Amino acid sequence: MTIRLPRVLKGTAALLAVLAVLVYLGYFVIYISYAVELFRWPFDYDQGEGFELYDAILYRQGLWPYRDNASFPFYASNYPPLFHLLMVPLLPIFGPRLIAGRLLSFGATLVTAGAIFVVVRRNVTKQRGDWMGMWFIPLVSGLAFLASNYVYQIGPLCRMHMTLVMFETLAIAFIAEFEHRKHGTRNLLVGLVMLFCAGYTKQTAVFTVAAAISYVFLRDTKKAVLAGGGLALAAGAVFWLINTATGGEWWLNIIEANVNEFDYRRTLFLFRQWFSLHTLFILLGAGYFIYELFWDRLSAYSLWFFFALGVGALSGKWGAGFGYFNTAVAAACLTSGLALGKLKEIDWEPRFDLWRSSVGRGGVRAVIAAIIPLLYLLQAPRMLHLPTAGPVWAPLSRTLGVDDQLAYGSGESLAPTHCAPVSYYDAMGYTQLGHPLSADDYEAGERIMAYVDAAEGPIFSEEAMFSILADKPVVTNPTQLLNLYNNGLLDTTEIVDHVDQQAFDLVIFRAQFYPPPVLEAIGQNYQPVDQVCMNGFTYHLLWARDRLANAPEPPR
Amino acid sequence: MVTKRQLGYFVVAVSVIGIVGIIAVDVLGAGRWGGFGPLQRMGIGLGLVAVAAGLVLIRLGDRPA
Repeated sequence: MTIRLPRVLKGTAALLAVLAVLVYLGYFVIYISYAVELFRWPFDYDQGEGFELYDAILYRQGLWPYRDNASFPFYASNYPPLFHLLMVPLLPIFGPRLIAGRLLSFGATLVTAGAIFVVVRRNVTKQRGDWMGMWFIPLVSGLAFLASNYVYQIGPLCRMHMTLVMFETLAIAFIAEFEHRKHGTRNLLVGLVMLFCAGYTKQTAVFTVAAAISYVFLRDTKKAVLAGGGLALAAGAVFWLINTATGGEWWLNIIEANVNEFDYRRTLFLFRQWFSLHTLFILLGAGYFIYELFWDRLSAYSLWFFFALGVGALSGKWGAGFGYFNTAVAAACLTSGLALGKLKEIDWEPRFDLWRSSVGRGGVRAVIAAIIPLLYLLQAPRMLHLPTAGPVWAPLSRTLGVDDQLAYGSGESLAPTHCAPVSYYDAMGYTQLGHPLSADDYEAGERIMAYVDAAEGPIFSEEAMFSILADKPVVTNPTQLLNLYNNGLLDTTEIVDHVDQQAFDLVIFRAQFYPPPVLEAIGQNYQPVDQVCMNGFTYHLLWARDRLANAPEPPR
Repeated sequence: MVTKRQLGYFVVAVSVIGIVGIIAVDVLGAGRWGGFGPLQRMGIGLGLVAVAAGLVLIRLGDRPA
């Protein structure tokens, strides 16, 4: 009995495809496990989370978070309002807790993955019964987004990044269809609304706006001028209204405070890291862009991928980081799916006459069908990340040989900025996010809260959640104060006066981000009373020198 | 509708302006390094690649971009 080669290849393709789906589903399980960990964790996991929640709390009280940083409570937000406004309806359900924002952000990643699935599926195949085009490539493209180390780490945080990416993805998906015969105008309008939402979630959306309007411009110049003009008018009007309502604090906190020092070496490092983690998706996305640029018409998706590199270029800014690549990750996952779909649809048979004779009719297509899942399988370990403790993860990480390569290091190799190792491996190496929390972390949180509860009145903390959990007002947003100080836009007189008068019983440091004059004043007026290791970081607790007798005794 | 040629002219024009701007930074004495800094070298490298891509696009004629 002879077995035809195409048949063997088809079987191989199906087997590899099942394996690839299982691997990417495995990443999805890891993502859900991490998200559930964070939903339970009441304290800041990432330093900015509590401040984003506090913005939502202020909106719920009918107050703007764009305020004068130089006067008490020395707090202002440096982000646009939409993510925080979306959190407001969740506050009555969850209370003023981080889970509201974490669920919102996690949900946004699922919507983004779903949108990638739908776009790839709609564009990859028109043939019924083509399981690879209809299911496999779209499914893995969507799951690949959730498997990205960057998306995994930031996805379930109470941060606005992933809501931005969701709006950007939806905007591009709608605007790509602006020439639809029946729904063209509707698609364009919905796309513009999504762009508006993206811009009012985070300022970096400007690159996606440029991609979308450029796409419309290439195809219909008049519509592009109208769409771009309309969007600029609407965004400008809201910008002016908020700026007027906040007495100019909006401009100062959103624009001027974000002009920070830029280190191009950091950008290059992050570009290399992004490439090394997402190699397949980037190569396919770049290849698809080049193909469309010279051999076909540029699609909205390719242009998005190209413009998203611009956001990445800003990642060397102080306060920025790998989160600036999330848009590029979404665009790469989407365009790589389209590229593989194109690869699969091309009629290769006439181009490989000799080869066809050796593999039989339909053989070339079967080879391509086997190569596609193989590529996904080869890419998967490049993004490897998983917890290394627990009944499932410990044996799995041992089997994969990464159980001793922890994100913060361990023993002698423990990173000097950390007080304890975390049970987590990530192919990107050192990272402050992604690890699960331990029972010790919960205990440490309670220990810090004992000081917060013992303090009378507001506390001076680098993280907002300690204040929010104790039902105290949030005082200071340290990174914002530092941004403004570095740009010569902050008068620290009143803050330093408050510190000199020891107006706060307790100061909590995690990274000492405050401007130097504030740190100096704290050093003179506050006495260290305890240091607590939580979430791998050392929290320094300082008590007002004049009231040291009121400080709780540190537990033994 | 924009053609490949029009897009090519646009890309070449923007790239040339960019390259001239990068060189002008040095002539005007701005920047942190004496002579050509690493960012300038990268910028000019990318600008030249873009000029080459633009020239190819110009040759592609009236096909839609």
